[in-house]
Amino acid sequence: MYPVKTFLMTELLAGLRLTLKHFFTRKATVLYPEEKTPKSPRFRGLHALRRYPNGQERCIACKLCEAVCPAQAITIESGVGPDGTRRTTRYDIDLFKCIYCGFCEEACPVDAIVETRIHEFHMERRGENIMTKDKLLAVGDKYEAMIAADKAADAPYR
Amino acid sequence: MPEIESFTVNFGPQHPAAHGVLRLVLEMEGEVIHKADPHVGLLHRATEKLAETKPYNQSIGYMDRLDYVSMMCNEHGYVLAIEKLLGIKPPIRAQYIRVMFDEITRILNHLMWLGAHAMDIGAMTVFLYCFREREDLMDVYEAVSGTRMHATYYRPGGVYRDLPDKMPQYEPSPYRSAKELEELNEARSGSVLDFIEHFADRFPARIDEYETLLTDNRIWKQRTVNIGVVSPERAMQLGFSGPMLRGSGVVWDLRKHQPYEVYDQLDFDIPVGKNGDCYDRYLVRVEELRQSTRIIKQCVEWLKKNPGPVMIDDRKIAPPRRIEMKDDMESLIHHFKLFTEGYSVPEGEVYAAVEAPKGEFGVYLISDGANKPYRVKVRAPGFPHLAAMNEMVKGHMLADVVAVIGTQDIVFGEIDR
Amino acid sequence: MSDDIVKIEVNGVPLEARKGEMLIEVTDRAGIYIPRFCYHHKLSVAANCRMCLVDIEKAPKPMPACATPVADGMKVYTRSRRAIDAQKATMEFLLINHPLDCPICDQGGECELQDLAVGYGRDVSRYTERKRVVKDLNIGPLISTDMTRCIHCTRCVRFGIEIQGIQQLGTIGRGERTVISTYVERAVEHELSGNIIDLCPVGALNNKPYRYSARPWEMSSKPLVAAHDAVGSNIYAHVLRGRVKRVVPKRNDSINETWISDRDRFSCYGLYADDRLEKPMVKIDQQWTEATWQEALELAARELVKTLDGEGEALGVLVSPNATLEEMFLLRRIADRLGSRNIDHRLRRRDFRDQNADPVFPWLGCSIEGLERRDAILVVGSNLRMEAPLIAHRVRNAALDGAAVTFVNPAAYTYHFEHEYVDAPVERMVHALGALVVAAARETQKQVPAVAAKLASEIAASDAHTSAVRRLIGKERALILLGHLAQRHPQFAEIRALAAALAALTGAEIGYIAEGANGAGAAISGVLPHRGPGGAAGGEPGLDVQGMINSPRRAYIVFGIEPREDIANGERAEQALKSADTVITFSSYVTDELLGCSTVLLPIAAFAETPGTFVNGEGRWQSFDAAANPVGDARPGWRVLRVLANLLGVEDAEYRSAEEVLDGVRRAVGETRPDNSYSGQIEAEGDAVQVSLDELDVPIYSVDAVVRRSEPLQRTVFARGAKGDDDARAEIRVQSAG
Repeated sequence: MYPVKTFLMTELLAGLRLTLKHFFTRKATVLYPEEKTPKSPRFRGLHALRRYPNGQERCIACKLCEAVCPAQAITIESGVGPDGTRRTTRYDIDLFKCIYCGFCEEACPVDAIVETRIHEFHMERRGENIMTKDKLLAVGDKYEAMIAADKAADAPYR
Repeated sequence: MPEIESFTVNFGPQHPAAHGVLRLVLEMEGEVIHKADPHVGLLHRATEKLAETKPYNQSIGYMDRLDYVSMMCNEHGYVLAIEKLLGIKPPIRAQYIRVMFDEITRILNHLMWLGAHAMDIGAMTVFLYCFREREDLMDVYEAVSGTRMHATYYRPGGVYRDLPDKMPQYEPSPYRSAKELEELNEARSGSVLDFIEHFADRFPARIDEYETLLTDNRIWKQRTVNIGVVSPERAMQLGFSGPMLRGSGVVWDLRKHQPYEVYDQLDFDIPVGKNGDCYDRYLVRVEELRQSTRIIKQCVEWLKKNPGPVMIDDRKIAPPRRIEMKDDMESLIHHFKLFTEGYSVPEGEVYAAVEAPKGEFGVYLISDGANKPYRVKVRAPGFPHLAAMNEMVKGHMLADVVAVIGTQDIVFGEIDR
Repeated sequence: MSDDIVKIEVNGVPLEARKGEMLIEVTDRAGIYIPRFCYHHKLSVAANCRMCLVDIEKAPKPMPACATPVADGMKVYTRSRRAIDAQKATMEFLLINHPLDCPICDQGGECELQDLAVGYGRDVSRYTERKRVVKDLNIGPLISTDMTRCIHCTRCVRFGIEIQGIQQLGTIGRGERTVISTYVERAVEHELSGNIIDLCPVGALNNKPYRYSARPWEMSSKPLVAAHDAVGSNIYAHVLRGRVKRVVPKRNDSINETWISDRDRFSCYGLYADDRLEKPMVKIDQQWTEATWQEALELAARELVKTLDGEGEALGVLVSPNATLEEMFLLRRIADRLGSRNIDHRLRRRDFRDQNADPVFPWLGCSIEGLERRDAILVVGSNLRMEAPLIAHRVRNAALDGAAVTFVNPAAYTYHFEHEYVDAPVERMVHALGALVVAAARETQKQVPAVAAKLASEIAASDAHTSAVRRLIGKERALILLGHLAQRHPQFAEIRALAAALAALTGAEIGYIAEGANGAGAAISGVLPHRGPGGAAGGEPGLDVQGMINSPRRAYIVFGIEPREDIANGERAEQALKSADTVITFSSYVTDELLGCSTVLLPIAAFAETPGTFVNGEGRWQSFDAAANPVGDARPGWRVLRVLANLLGVEDAEYRSAEEVLDGVRRAVGETRPDNSYSGQIEAEGDAVQVSLDELDVPIYSVDAVVRRSEPLQRTVFARGAKGDDDARAEIRVQSAG
């Protein structure tokens, strides 16, 4: 039996048939970037700082995210804000150091720092890897609806 | 002209077949290897030392990055060690989730291994098929943890969050008809468990496809049979574990012999090889794919029937739920302290190991009672395997080195740590 | 003796204790931790927090360890079921009304309430009702309050009563309505008030200037020695990214116990004043330009050599008594190299006639701790609480222990303990002391010692003098402390001669409260015109500070001084500097005054930014390392001086570290020990006194450049009162009355 198989190359032909079959089945790939694969609301991508609906920053400079960050990617300077409350004067995340573990979001007692589902971002110049407070707030402002929906979807599990 | 008797070749660290940053210094006579000297350390990140400077939980994310193709299994080893020191056991549901994800991870790892191994040897197609399935599992990873690879999902006392009730779906796009979209989303219409179940149902047929392409294939067999033979005695002496050990015919699997979590309640077999060559190890791993699928199915079944907590109910170790943290003083204090200082672990030393896809992944922890480990030592299964490189390739041809690297399933993240 | 020892057992461990000791003292000594909020080893026992409840065998219910005296055979369990239940219940009650402030509370991370809640409390609350809210108090510019967080441990109240001696905070109300209050809204004004920040186990009382600026876990804690008075308090500077964020005490029972003065605690906020000198500056053609260190130092060396032209006498060196020992020693070496003996640190002193009788190594006359064991203390010319708050605290402790404390002062300063006061107006201070000597001679029936015989003649002693002297006579451990006012007095020579006579008559010892953080160090390292390092005499004495001002020099080196503020007759000093050709000024700050009178301005590291050594009032050498980064291009003074010394050709000055300089100081100083023995002689009668008390007495928060720039300190009632704010003065008076 074995020499026959060898001679007839059955196993090779079986393999070729398989690949040929895949010629005619639907592709597993998608047409990125027009089309994207599904993404979960838990996705941990680019960070954002959120605001309350009245426009007030959520962040109260408690520094829990800074403390829990394993990569020490977050740098915060805090002080007394104009209204006498505790506020950040600087909130930097170094995206090169960040390991996207999500601990900052877990630690935040006021849901201020979040990781969004945004993953398509890049830097062109040195220094752009630092997400400053303004940049983070801008991301938060722009995508607030999406962030709120994602966080609401995940809230029952946390 | 003087005759050159032997010469030295540097294989890697920038060789595409060298799996990451492996550097092999090969002493050769013609095509025949006399000596192979693997060099380590090019991916050294001092993970163990790093872990000594951080509260326990903060290092979970770094465990993902050890063997970066079997992420959750590494987390599992580390988390088990902490739990052993703390003397806690996660809720049963968390244990099932962990076992399920360990097996998903095993499939992820073996698919990566199979694709890369086959491609190294010359079979391009298998790689593409393997990655197709990997994609589904990565989606599962992402659905539960938020990342496709570095999950940071296991925590001492359970897992971070329960499995979501909804699997993310494809969005409509101009390039897909409604019917196509529906087909694409068919498996995703239910919960994550439904999706996993669906995957487990169709996966055995996919394994058959891989096997169609490889198992009987003459080229594959020529390249793997009787290559890198390790006798069972020698395998044990060399400290092999996992498929490398079982490929040589030694019946040893931590899931059976030192069951952790709920493995003792699950029905599965451990495949064992006969000849201890690359081909047997291939067969063992492929069979493991099937067995893992079996375990996953059992876990899905159990998990569907048994809702419950996935984290221990002890706020001294596990942070409180967010809703509690926001209006409960005790919870807020515990939240604050856990995220700044972490918890303190009683003095002592432990070794905890899991059957990772590559073998026995163990974590040795010494605690001096502080909130950070006094010492962490990771037993990476790949390290003793790599150490046997010389023995396994000696006398073989240069092309067989690639087959042996493949069969060892080398990932430098764990070897260099 | 064996009767006093009782044997007890804690958690099965046999322990020995002295009879009458509280249980918690014994367990603390044995290293067995019992949780507590209200108990503090330096304060009285209140037993009102109930956190330290322990299970005692045969006791019907858990007992508070802080208020339970040990008894023989007592069996105590700190972690038994009953004890744990009691601790959990206490913790739960304490948290019922605690606000959810942790994320915004400065105490978060170093909070005893948090620690004990995690260590001993429940993990989930059962309380769902509304929490109470308490109105915050405004108690001044140093301490912030969030009274809702208060758990009524009353440590702050007891601190006021027992340590400050004046109760400024108290409790009002009962049960849930209990609040800590000042009764009428006013600032807590005491030179030690900041310590209630450390005492407060929660975030109710916090450091106001530090408010919200950092977290305890991110700062590194660097040990330092406080740089504003002769106590040399041990402190920790908490440093974040190279900047001092706050200062807290470091426990040292022989110096500052667990306290520090507000001046030491809040002075660090002057470090980052707007007028910090960040770059070396040189004046070329009457124009100030920034220069590199190289340029500035080379110019300084060149100008010095050129201006002096070989005449060392033409150089005057003025050194701050807050400079480190290393800096002082290097300055001395530079002066020697340039051939000048005109070097001095006694900036505020006016009378140098008797300087040869100055002790080589002046000190308090006993250790700081030893002050508490004195049975009689006569303080001459000292606004003690303002000059050295912690020495005042020790003197108070001595008084509470029964010591007879008497003040011979130009004004009746407020002290919150029993004392006697002998009025000695500035112009009649010598007279008052003379009267004391006369009274002492009469009481002891001894001869007035020769040195004071002339001074004390024709003086009649009043009852007050007699009474004051009687408090000294017959005491075993009597001490006469000469304070800053006495040392700055234009007739210091007479005052000291009389004090020495009094000491001789009564058997007391003499002590000096040195000026600055390193006054004693300056004396032994030879920053004096008439002595070298270690008191080495020899040669013609140079000019003292006043001499250098009165006969202006052509060149000056000014180290860490703002002449107008820091030198007696400051205006004249400024004029003298302005008239000089070359003035090399080492300063941490740049002011119009310094720009007006210097030719080269060299930025040096301020306190906390430089390594160094201070010798405190009790003669203790305390070295410390730099804690923070110098601002801008400033460099530690010893480094700058070393380079200048090299440029000027000082031999063997290739020091590579502050420690090497210190080794040099040690060799030069040798075995000099603190010794205040007096062998002086008054040759001529002093001039008529023409200074007012305001000129003599430097306000507590104006003693040096850093303190003067500390904004929170400048906003205190003390500082505002000193600046002539009538409201503030009235407030001080109200408190003195209360």
